[in-house]
Amino acid sequence: MVSLRRFDRPHPNPSPEGEGLFELNRRDFVVSAAALGGGMVLAVSSAQAKVAAGAKSAVPWGPEVAAGNELTAWVAIGADDSVTIRVPTPESGNGAMTQIAMNVTEELGCAWRNVRVEFAAIQRDALENKVYTAGFLPFFSGHATDKGRMNRCLQVGASARERLKSAAAARWNVPVADVSAAESVLRHVASGRTLRYGDVALDAAKITLAAEPKLKDPATWNFIGKAAPPKLHIPQIANGTAVYGVDVQVPGMVYAALMQSPVQGGKLVSFDAAKVMKMAGVRAVVAVDPAKTAGTKLKNRTSFGIAETAAQHAVAVIADHFWQAKLALEALPVVWDAGAGAQWDDAGLAKGVAGVLDSAMRAGGGSKALKAGDVTLATGKRVVEREYATPYCDNAVMEPLNATALVKANSAEVWCPTQDMMQAFWVAIDECGLSPEQVKLHQTYMGGGFGRRTQAEEVRMVVAIARQYPNVPVKVIWTREEMFRQGRYRTPITTRYKAVLDDASGLPQAVSGTAAFTGTRPLFQLNQGYADVPYFTSGIIPHVDLRNTRLPVHILNGAYRGPCYNAHTFMAETFVDECAHEAGIDPLEYRLRLLTKWDAVWSDCLRLAGQKAGWGKALPKGEGLGIAITSWPTASMRNSSTVICAAVRVAVSPSGELQVKTIDVALDCGRMANKDAVLSAVEGGIIFGLNMTLNEGLTVKDGAIVEGNFDEAPMLRMADMPKLRVHFEAMTGQDRMDIVGESAVGPVGPAVGNAIFAATGKRVRTTPFRKADLSWG
Amino acid sequence: MAITRLKVNGKPVAVEADPSTPLLWVLRDHLGMTGTKFGCGIAQCGACTVHLNGDAVRSCQVPLATISGANVVTIEGLASHAGAAAKGPILQRLWAEMNVPQCGYCQAGMLMAASNLLKHKPKPSDADIDEAVSNICRCGTYDRIRAAIHKAADSAMKV
Repeated sequence: MVSLRRFDRPHPNPSPEGEGLFELNRRDFVVSAAALGGGMVLAVSSAQAKVAAGAKSAVPWGPEVAAGNELTAWVAIGADDSVTIRVPTPESGNGAMTQIAMNVTEELGCAWRNVRVEFAAIQRDALENKVYTAGFLPFFSGHATDKGRMNRCLQVGASARERLKSAAAARWNVPVADVSAAESVLRHVASGRTLRYGDVALDAAKITLAAEPKLKDPATWNFIGKAAPPKLHIPQIANGTAVYGVDVQVPGMVYAALMQSPVQGGKLVSFDAAKVMKMAGVRAVVAVDPAKTAGTKLKNRTSFGIAETAAQHAVAVIADHFWQAKLALEALPVVWDAGAGAQWDDAGLAKGVAGVLDSAMRAGGGSKALKAGDVTLATGKRVVEREYATPYCDNAVMEPLNATALVKANSAEVWCPTQDMMQAFWVAIDECGLSPEQVKLHQTYMGGGFGRRTQAEEVRMVVAIARQYPNVPVKVIWTREEMFRQGRYRTPITTRYKAVLDDASGLPQAVSGTAAFTGTRPLFQLNQGYADVPYFTSGIIPHVDLRNTRLPVHILNGAYRGPCYNAHTFMAETFVDECAHEAGIDPLEYRLRLLTKWDAVWSDCLRLAGQKAGWGKALPKGEGLGIAITSWPTASMRNSSTVICAAVRVAVSPSGELQVKTIDVALDCGRMANKDAVLSAVEGGIIFGLNMTLNEGLTVKDGAIVEGNFDEAPMLRMADMPKLRVHFEAMTGQDRMDIVGESAVGPVGPAVGNAIFAATGKRVRTTPFRKADLSWG
Repeated sequence: MAITRLKVNGKPVAVEADPSTPLLWVLRDHLGMTGTKFGCGIAQCGACTVHLNGDAVRSCQVPLATISGANVVTIEGLASHAGAAAKGPILQRLWAEMNVPQCGYCQAGMLMAASNLLKHKPKPSDADIDEAVSNICRCGTYDRIRAAIHKAADSAMKV
């Protein structure tokens, strides 16, 4: 039996000048990780060091320097025929990593069983002339099928294939044109001679092509759109060896527990470190002050900029183990200056929103979102005026935010699960003040994103803490409570709509709306699902006047899956339902009439989802059907985006207990590169949207978020699942492979609300529905 | 600091840690076995589920002091040490074949809950699954988890 005490050697004393305490290269890391993983003691844990099919090695990130067997920074081919594809996009669960590999494989012509994936080292992009980002946006989401990015991957594969063919041709002394490549085998057609890719990979690495090869006609693709392989790294997920950010192990690593100002924007006044320094394992207590960010004068190359990623004032306890750090932080006396934000609570926010809406609705008030005709010209007798509201929600990623950093005088190294490597890289550079040559960033697997890991605040935080404890790797883990209370929340929106219905047709002659955003960050105050809805943009409604206003509040808004679209869609699709009811027209039929000037696929999706849900059939008392349709990200552009419709059947008991029984979904994203990946993203998006609508809504007291964990913020579980059916018969096959993960979040909430109305006559105009009284008996 | 002895995936280990340390953090920080995940710390999400003396438990709520001499099986030992009736290898294979995980972070806990269910109820009903697999998956993979459990129940023991 062996004692497994981790730190049985003297702790190194960190000193700002001390270099080289933990010099580490990647090879060492793999070996060390295996040792730390218990490989010496626990046989099962040595699995962490094994290379399992689909992943390159025990760690999922690639090297910062060119490895011997690489053809390009994107592709390395081993003597054993293994093809390692270095992926510059994150893998948030949508299969983007596997899709990138599929795209390269289509042209490379290698056998899929030989394909491995790892994350590209983003530092190479800075040092090697944008080797990963030229023509390729490396950030989050399912954009692996975006045409530009897809073509870049196809070119990577085609170029590597031609170099392999040239190497084989040289070996055989035959013209390249006589060599074919498929399933990892090069063949001289005339003689029947063959070589494997691995046989000539080193030769191919030395070959430069005179010209880039032309890409295949997509009609001849035999892999993309034909096969639907599961994500390559699932075996590691299923045996516990996939390395998420929170799993990173660096020799000598210590842990930090973090507390940021409970009221966002507040300041740290004081803390009494002496009270906890004698607690077991405690090494240091450090404060984070945003004014002490080192800053960079270099122009950053991020998608969204880093101006809004400033650190919050915080205090952190560093200890040998996370549990020790957490206990000590809980025992640490801390005094905060909450600042002006402390004035806000739910009632105050509601009053504030009403105030800005009142102002914006006066003539000329608010900012213009969409205008057509003149709403004052409408003459219909029936007027529908409604107000809808959505609350703060947290992304609630299952893997709490975390990152690990090792900061020295002249270098920094960061390990993190990020939705945007470029963003994280530059935030790290900005926080430590070093140059891109000095900063390495390693992407890990990611326990959910949903937008929460796009801005890299957690990377700034780990670097800010590790800078103060230099030469020692520090892992910062946010507790679930810290996650809920330090979110970058879904922007709350309150919208007042007014429609004047045509006396004859019942359709709106005029629609006016004013949408109030709560918060101060314009980046997350968007009009998708509001000003781009085809009902309003296609010309079917002659007079439209949509406006925005905002209530500046200190609580930070952020990117939450389908930002703002997820809220606007609930409101617009509930409002249209209310107009249909007022007009006395079936809500599905009403939508069809509103879409007569728009792409036929919208109507096709409505009819298909409705038909599958049994639209029009008589239902038992207390049951109802509701429908909603929407599109993200560019709903007002013809033949674009992912159009998606949900038809929902609910049962509501007389006492108000809601059961969502079935959800039928119809969509059009053009074409699909991997049908099961699309299906999976739709399933996930629908359940996410359902949870958002039924369950999610955080409350504010004294300027802080009240709820801290899943006992106070319930989530859907297995037992809550409706029967979910996704239908593809309305797919247009148009030449785009559009993103689906965000779109799917939109339609389910309003469809449930509309079904509740059909079942009970009760209209729910705010979320979450769990707080609504649905009783009707 | 006290030394606590227990078995993890069949191997005897000795852990020097504060007796209040939850098994979750013993596994992750002290033994370097990071397959068992931290999600909430209050037994709500189930990401930290392991088998303790043959039953599924949420390891964030199990202090080291209470498990001296215990047998622990984690996701790293699911294939080899959870017992044949748990169908670990079959579940793991089906998880991949059926593309069950999305982000995958909750799936170790899901697999430990699912395997424990199969061990006790070889042919579980939907209601049995609802009750035994009460973990949170934010990506919404519940339907695929359910389908994979049913398929594993119908699969022969041999892999």
